Amino acid sequence: MEYLPNFQVHRPGTAEEAVKLRVDNVDARFLAGGTDMIVNVRRGIERPSDLIDLTHIGELTEIREEAEGIRVGAAVTLQQLSDHETVRKSYRAASEAAGSVAGPTHRAYGTVGGNLCLDTRCLFYNQSEWWRSSNAYCLKHRGEVCHVAPGGRECFAAYSGDLAPAMLVHEARAGLIGPDGRREIPLAELYRDDGMDHLTMAPGELLASVLLPKETADIPSGYEKSRVRGSIDFPLAGAAARLRTRDGVIEDIRVALTGVRSWPFALTGTDRFIGQVLDDNVLDDLREMARTQSKPMRTGTVAPWYRRRVVGALTRRLAARLGA
Amino acid sequence: MNAPVAPAGPVKSIGERAPLVDGPEKVTGRAKYAADYRSPGALVGRILRSPVAHANVIEVDTSAAEALPGVEAVVTGQDCDQTYGVLPIAMNEYPMVRDRVRYRGEPVAAVAAVDVETAQKALDLIEFRYEELPAYFTAEKARAPGAVQLHEKKPGNIERHAEFELGDVSAGFAEADLVREETFQCAEVCQVQSEPHATYAEYDAERDRLTVWPSTQVPYYVHLMLSRTLKMDQSRIRVIKPHIGGGFGCRTETLNVEIICALLARKARGAVSLVISREETFITHRGRPETQIRMKLGLKRDGRITAVECDVVQRGGAYSGYGVVTVLYSGSLLYAIYDIERIRYNGFRILTNTPPPGAFRGHGTVNSRFAFESMIDSMAEELGIDPFAVRRANLLKAPTFAANDLMINSYGLPECIDWVEKASGWRERKGKLGPNRGLGMACSHYISGASKPVNWTGEPHATVNLKVDFDGSITLLTGAAEIGQGSSTVLVQCVAEVLGIGMPRIRIIASDSAVTPKDNGSYSSRVTYMVGNAAIEAAQNLRSVLIDAAARRLEVAPEDVECLGEIYRAGSQDRGLEFNEVVMEALKDTGTLTVKGTFDTIPESHGGKKYRGAAIGGTMAFSYAAQVVEVSVDPDTAEITVEKVWVAHDCGRALNPLSVEGQVQGSVWMGMGQALCEETRYHEGLGIAGNMLDYRVPTIMDSPPIEVKIVECADPHGPFGAKEAGEGSLAGFLPAFTSAVADAIGIRPTELPVTPDRLLKLMEKKEQEARAQEKRRKIA
Amino acid sequence: MKTQISLTVNGRRRDDTVSDNLLLVDYLRETLGLNGTKIGCDGGECGCCTVLVDGRARHACLTLATSCDGTHVETVESLAAKGRLSAIQRGFNEKLGAQCGFCTPGMIMAAEGLLRENPMPTEDEIRAGMAANICRCTGYVKIIESVQAAARELAQ
Repeated sequence: MEYLPNFQVHRPGTAEEAVKLRVDNVDARFLAGGTDMIVNVRRGIERPSDLIDLTHIGELTEIREEAEGIRVGAAVTLQQLSDHETVRKSYRAASEAAGSVAGPTHRAYGTVGGNLCLDTRCLFYNQSEWWRSSNAYCLKHRGEVCHVAPGGRECFAAYSGDLAPAMLVHEARAGLIGPDGRREIPLAELYRDDGMDHLTMAPGELLASVLLPKETADIPSGYEKSRVRGSIDFPLAGAAARLRTRDGVIEDIRVALTGVRSWPFALTGTDRFIGQVLDDNVLDDLREMARTQSKPMRTGTVAPWYRRRVVGALTRRLAARLGA
Repeated sequence: MNAPVAPAGPVKSIGERAPLVDGPEKVTGRAKYAADYRSPGALVGRILRSPVAHANVIEVDTSAAEALPGVEAVVTGQDCDQTYGVLPIAMNEYPMVRDRVRYRGEPVAAVAAVDVETAQKALDLIEFRYEELPAYFTAEKARAPGAVQLHEKKPGNIERHAEFELGDVSAGFAEADLVREETFQCAEVCQVQSEPHATYAEYDAERDRLTVWPSTQVPYYVHLMLSRTLKMDQSRIRVIKPHIGGGFGCRTETLNVEIICALLARKARGAVSLVISREETFITHRGRPETQIRMKLGLKRDGRITAVECDVVQRGGAYSGYGVVTVLYSGSLLYAIYDIERIRYNGFRILTNTPPPGAFRGHGTVNSRFAFESMIDSMAEELGIDPFAVRRANLLKAPTFAANDLMINSYGLPECIDWVEKASGWRERKGKLGPNRGLGMACSHYISGASKPVNWTGEPHATVNLKVDFDGSITLLTGAAEIGQGSSTVLVQCVAEVLGIGMPRIRIIASDSAVTPKDNGSYSSRVTYMVGNAAIEAAQNLRSVLIDAAARRLEVAPEDVECLGEIYRAGSQDRGLEFNEVVMEALKDTGTLTVKGTFDTIPESHGGKKYRGAAIGGTMAFSYAAQVVEVSVDPDTAEITVEKVWVAHDCGRALNPLSVEGQVQGSVWMGMGQALCEETRYHEGLGIAGNMLDYRVPTIMDSPPIEVKIVECADPHGPFGAKEAGEGSLAGFLPAFTSAVADAIGIRPTELPVTPDRLLKLMEKKEQEARAQEKRRKIA
Repeated sequence: MKTQISLTVNGRRRDDTVSDNLLLVDYLRETLGLNGTKIGCDGGECGCCTVLVDGRARHACLTLATSCDGTHVETVESLAAKGRLSAIQRGFNEKLGAQCGFCTPGMIMAAEGLLRENPMPTEDEIRAGMAANICRCTGYVKIIESVQAAARELAQ
């Protein structure tokens, strides 16, 4: 018998109801697949008074082809997204990324929204209540000290979702529903580089969907990740890229990374490669760019310098694959 | 009764690919493990663990917890003033701390409550006050001058310094054409058996009796320690082993969970289920210690080994456990695989403020075998000798005794080596696999049971009872702990083979102290060899009883009775008696029959006396294994893929080839985990990989095809010639793997596990050196 | 808080009132006495608790019982029909896909989910489909053979 604190589960039928439940109670949390939320509740990292189950909200569970592109409900499972025919064909990075999260069982019920809103991770944070209390907690949760960088007042917990960088290279838009209604923002604006608070959503706001826009459909794209084991592990680093060449010359390029900062982010400065021949020099530059813009810290058991090196290698490899 | 059918002859069981006798229970979910035992009203146990690594206990105040409604018992160190431990010479652990905390997570108190919420609340109400002491998380710091002693009788925090020198080692090095020395570092690893530790205990207050269902490999040792710590007469305790979800050595000694559960049940005067979490299971530990090895080898140009010098330092954790034995095995088992005389060994087992390691599969041998095989491989390369040739140059000739008097009567290593060389296509493929792909090979061995048990009582090593009654069924009663390794199956096979009957006629009851004969348990690969022999003897004894009975009925002399398994007859013209008829005749005089078989080791197998601790390693027989590992290395990410393994294992005789294959594959693969990705790690003594995400047991995606060749070099004393199969091939994987990496990219890792960050560091270092060399060359 | 749920477990209709914080694995084991589903880790890392919910593999240790309202839950206990092992169970039994047996129920349910979607998987597809389940005994070699044997039996 596992110990779980008491909470009340709600099963709203509409997104508006879900948002209202959340707004009414600051200690309420949204629950979709639960692959991460329930682990966190079991560890006492989350202590919700209420859990709002999103999996019975019709619009959140569908993948719809709209005039502007493909709209993916936040409660669509990673497996559904990965297997979706149009996504596989036109938004390859998203399909590959979704198909590489954790293991097959996790993907069968873990959701798009859950992966995009994945909490940042750190070996001093993702531990049991006993463990964290024995270690005086940490800056991110209940504590005063960051054990990764003890002098500072910054949290370096790493964002480790696979799907976000893929969505970023597709220039996906996030559909949000909040107490003040609905809005749509570039997905990139959903994140900030702060391990304590990496999501920009307003209190009570719900990520309801992501739109894969028509404009980026069918551009060659892909996702590469590094992890110690071939399954289950979170990525040590991941790179997504969208890259179109004509006669070897780069026409369009966008690269985004995960696992190497507190947010998923698109590399800045890749535009300068447009018009250049995708040769070894460009690939080497891309590798360097990925490395320099990464800032992995000692948040996992694998050395940060390795994650920085490998994110460069993944970026280079992916670009070479897409350009071939 | 049916008319006898045409006699088909005795049924064969030995050598058959028999599925497990308890397989149907396992695949249907009916198999009950310790956590599955509960009765209405059973209480839930929970343990409070120390937040600090080293401290003097000031007070454990449980008054508020005791006052909480729904709490039926609270126990602390005050409830048990008896130490426990697997070695009679080194019992220095209490189930819950009394005066001193010595590692983070050590049990401080425990509660039994009506439900899990109440139990958790009660733990939160316990106040633990302590005074912190300096804590040491590495062997180096614990050994440093001025370090506070963890245990009063262990100056310098040295649990054991094991040392010996056989032959003139210095002269050996002087004779060598090549002497090299290297340091190796092996991270601590943990068994991570599938089932977290659990115990269910029922205390009968009316009769002062205790029944315990522990998730253990050693029910008898648990029985002894429960009696000792609870100060209860052994006769009042019954230990029933449920199904066990693996062990690999972490359950070869009594664990605090088992004692705490019993203490709670007695205090609550009822039933308690204590199931600990995966994190707590990691804290309970008993894995393979972090080990530093300095290995020095002397080699002649023809590959002959002239001398070995080996220094080992093991981070031994906070309590003795098996530590003394581990550090002795690491030295003793440098012998008995190759023909080496001169070895100098220095092993230190150091007490540290980390959870105590134990007897992990391949106990004591794995890390020193890794270092040894790595050295011989790299030195052979330097001398221009093939890895196979260098091993062949140092083979033993059985029967023989190793220089430290370990008895070797069977030795299938040459055949193992031959097979892996051929099957892997070594000659044709080595060096031709293209960039970043390579082959490596290594050998290993292991004992078939320790010839002297840690609890020496003078009794036979193994006893098996066979009960036969009116129904014609045979019940095999054994204390041997079936933990998933297939011991129950192999014992049934042994009995069935001797009697010539089909296995379905035999039922087995394993490890219920009220019913089955005592057995030391499942460790050191002793069960097939020792209990198998006892089972054979029991079956032979039963067979003669049945032959005598048949002779009476058939009115012939016993020697004229032919036993066909289901039919006993006097000559081929005789229609014969059915098995049941024979049994009925046999029961006439005595009633229900119980016959017994025992097994004991012979004195020659007890190891030597040439140095203190030389008995460790003594065994009736050694298994031998050779393997070839093929890897590929990703040049960008330094990720290693194990592409394939070919392994040959000399198990004497495969009583059940299906099981042998499973054991060998499991061993090789477990070696792979240690080589590739597994390690416990601590932050100030707090395990940072105390879960199955950060402690990386390989998944199916990481696991190669493993082709197994069973080599049958029959052992003269083994049951049908059999020797161990479940440990010997583990150690060889590690050096074969790093040799394959060396073949692939020219770098031989000496630090395990070879995670991508470790390997990339080595690769970049090599690149830098190459660049620097290039630069120097240009300048010159 | 408690919630009324209606679901089927192994084909049988159940109406139960459960605590909102009750995990599916505890509902199965403690409330229904279906002990086949095992707990091997502290949440989603080992796969021992894998069951099928509406035909898809799911960790019972990360699923709330209340979330299973209106669903069909299947555990290892559902597979043997009239006392005979299912093809997958037979495969694991005869090919030694189970040693200690603790990961086996979850492993078998993962295989069940896999073979329903892909009755004749390649070796790579078996690996990909079973990659959330950790076995500590077999090295997976005989697990793969077990699933292959089951697929062959089912194809006949």
